[in-house]
Amino acid sequence: MPLKNSIKIMPGAMICNDCYLRGDITIGKNTIIHPHASIIAEAGPIIIGENNLIEEQCVIINRLPAGEHPISTPVLIIGDSNVFEVDCRSEAMKIGEDNVLESKSFVGRGVELTDGCIVGAGCRLTYPEIIPEKTVIFGSNCSRRQQSERPPPQTSQLDFLSKVLPHYHQLKKNKHEVKNIIS
Amino acid sequence: MELQDIFYNKVEYVETASGNKVSRQTVLCGSQNIVLSGKVIVQSDAIIRGDLANVRAGRHCIISKRAVIRPPFKKFSKGVAFFPLHMGDHVFVGENSVVNAAVVGSYVYIGKNCVIGRRCVLKDCCVIEDNTVLPPETVVPSFTRYASSPGVCIGELPECTQDLMLEFTRSYYQHFLPAK
Amino acid sequence: MSHILQSDVVRYACTCGSLKPLSRIYFCRHCLKIRCGYCVSHEVDSHYCANCLENLPSAEARLKKQRCASCFDCPSCLHTLSTKASTVVVPSSDEKTVTRKLYYLACGFCRWTSRDIGYPDQTVASGGWPEKENPHASRIYNLLEHFKTLALREKQEREKKKKFIPRRNIYHLSGLSAAMARKRAGLPSIGPSSLKDDVGGPAELIPSAATEEVEQLPEEIFTDTLNLLKVTTLKQRLAQPEFQPQTVDELYPAHKCLLIKRSQRCRSCEHNVSKPEYNPGSIKFKIQLSAHYHVPEIRIVTCEPLRAGEKSEMIIKICNPTQYQSSLQFSPLPSPEEEAEELSKEIEERKQKVDRKDEKTNREDVLLLLPSICRQVSITEDPRPVNVALTGDISLPPVTLVLPPRDDAAEYDDSGDTHNFQDDPKIVVWRKANKAAMKLVITPEEDISEGRDVIVGFVMHYTYINTMATQLLEQREPQKVNLKVKLYITVGKVVGK
Repeated sequence: MPLKNSIKIMPGAMICNDCYLRGDITIGKNTIIHPHASIIAEAGPIIIGENNLIEEQCVIINRLPAGEHPISTPVLIIGDSNVFEVDCRSEAMKIGEDNVLESKSFVGRGVELTDGCIVGAGCRLTYPEIIPEKTVIFGSNCSRRQQSERPPPQTSQLDFLSKVLPHYHQLKKNKHEVKNIIS
Repeated sequence: MELQDIFYNKVEYVETASGNKVSRQTVLCGSQNIVLSGKVIVQSDAIIRGDLANVRAGRHCIISKRAVIRPPFKKFSKGVAFFPLHMGDHVFVGENSVVNAAVVGSYVYIGKNCVIGRRCVLKDCCVIEDNTVLPPETVVPSFTRYASSPGVCIGELPECTQDLMLEFTRSYYQHFLPAK
Repeated sequence: MSHILQSDVVRYACTCGSLKPLSRIYFCRHCLKIRCGYCVSHEVDSHYCANCLENLPSAEARLKKQRCASCFDCPSCLHTLSTKASTVVVPSSDEKTVTRKLYYLACGFCRWTSRDIGYPDQTVASGGWPEKENPHASRIYNLLEHFKTLALREKQEREKKKKFIPRRNIYHLSGLSAAMARKRAGLPSIGPSSLKDDVGGPAELIPSAATEEVEQLPEEIFTDTLNLLKVTTLKQRLAQPEFQPQTVDELYPAHKCLLIKRSQRCRSCEHNVSKPEYNPGSIKFKIQLSAHYHVPEIRIVTCEPLRAGEKSEMIIKICNPTQYQSSLQFSPLPSPEEEAEELSKEIEERKQKVDRKDEKTNREDVLLLLPSICRQVSITEDPRPVNVALTGDISLPPVTLVLPPRDDAAEYDDSGDTHNFQDDPKIVVWRKANKAAMKLVITPEEDISEGRDVIVGFVMHYTYINTMATQLLEQREPQKVNLKVKLYITVGKVVGK
């Protein structure tokens, strides 16, 4: 099924031109997407909240595993103030607020991240479950522990980046219309 | 084993006056802030973020495919700043690795799929094995070998490591030839 | 990294019989022999912390039980803890609010913080953290003291027996000596024999008694639901052997262990073979006699696919690392009888050396000194034959290969080689500066099965110019020595016909 590109960018969001966006994507205010990230809304739309930070080589994808036919179009919802570090991969359908997905982590489709969770570097979450609040998952065995405080929001980094990135990168313009893929 | 010749597509790589071989398919942000000292190889799909802060690589460095070299950031009382990232000479960064370190010394070998955390300090002559995750602010002393997640010291390196890395990077550069 | 270190392709046989790659062996310039890790004795040079890279003198390290004073390990994931600051607005005495910095420990990997166990935030960046007292400290201290006094007594008894000098003193016989007088008067004796009595008996120590009574399990253990997030793992528990906490909120950070810098010393001639600098951040060496710099290095360039019973060509690259020209020759491995002869000669030589050394110095008094100054007693092993099953045959060309000296400036100077060597082009296929590539023919065994490694061996004879300072003084010009080393190459796996 060919994907129609429909990318809605709210004011304040900065998306580098280098990124690979496909499908029906809504990006909230003040979200920053670094170059070379990919957001692919294959099976259904993706809605990204405000103040998120998505770094290079990240892949956020809404896809169906082979052979599955859903009843309704699945919508991938990402909340506010999340951090997706370099080379992480997320197929989770629902991500809450204040979560951190560290470098090279992988979150499978059935997993649901609530608020304040930290998925450590290199960890892979494949079994479908709802991760309780403020859980830290780390190590090669994906050990867990409960944290007492939520990870702090990266507002200062977001501010800095919003000043620096426009100098070096071309940003995608705000358009509320269907856009063709820019290769 | 002696290294075999690695051929690259002549059109794809740019060779500078100082002998740097940089692929055209890399993402070099802020290239005016990136300093490659000489005879550095940057292979395709590598990402070097010079826009965040200065990045300096020493001589005979090798940055393999899909590696990400990214300066770390530090929170100050007055806000956030990205630190310059200095890599020493004769450093090998393996494929797919993410280097967020503050300082990388000379004669360092970083394996494939590694994650070097924020503000790590890698001293001279150390080896980070494949698939290692170094948590933020780790200090890797000289002549040690780190592996697994979180990175722990699993062994020591022989005294001639400096020369071994020197020969390795030099011969890698000599064997990196354009395909005819 | 393993493909750089190549620990199992080309291996050199050390004099003790073990096979090691070139990067792991040393070359002793005094004995002119190859020494591996088993033939050298290790000595600790300095202690340093892996995190702060601070050098600690050995005495202080022993006092602090080989732990760093300022760095901590996360009790949860055993990574190093970092100190983070948080600013707090505190109302001070003169009605102005002052911003103070409060420090807490945090782990970057598992996000454990010192607030999890209830440690209050410190006002000082380092050194303010409370130390937890070992509950068994006093008992352990008593035990240590008891055994120390026992050991001292035993040592003195041994000394007395050895240094027994019979004093022919007539006064001793008649009972009129000063010592006898003091004894009769009941006064404590003085002099060397008084040491024995002064120590007195060992402190009264109640030995630990074994009991059969074991605490019963509380009833709640069967009914309470277990929260796995609150229970410590075995690894976390055993990282703190004094306390072994069972719940997560009793995990306290431990001080970080120190690493060492060590120097190596040849066991037969007691000369240093490797000595690094004291500074932990420095990679230079005061003495570095790695074999990499003295023994020619052999590397496989290519090898044709190996088939059982059929000949395959292999090209090896030889590199001369020394500053002098070297000529190499190759010969097959010695037969078992010749090897046995060589070994017995070695053992004889070693015995003579040990006897000569024993005559010179009496080492016993050195051994009784404090442990920090005591040197490890050199235990040399007799050389053993190399235990490798060869599964292939190698044809060695009878040529003498001359390799020019190493020239560091040649890298920048592309004027080309000015040496003219008469090489057989069928054998020596390539030359550049101090390196040459040679072609050899390998024949794996007839009955070797598919997938097994083909191991071949040969002896390489090379000339070595001995540049030792003592030699130069005696003979005015560097001495040329013919040395040989056995090499074993694992060429590759056999593929089917």
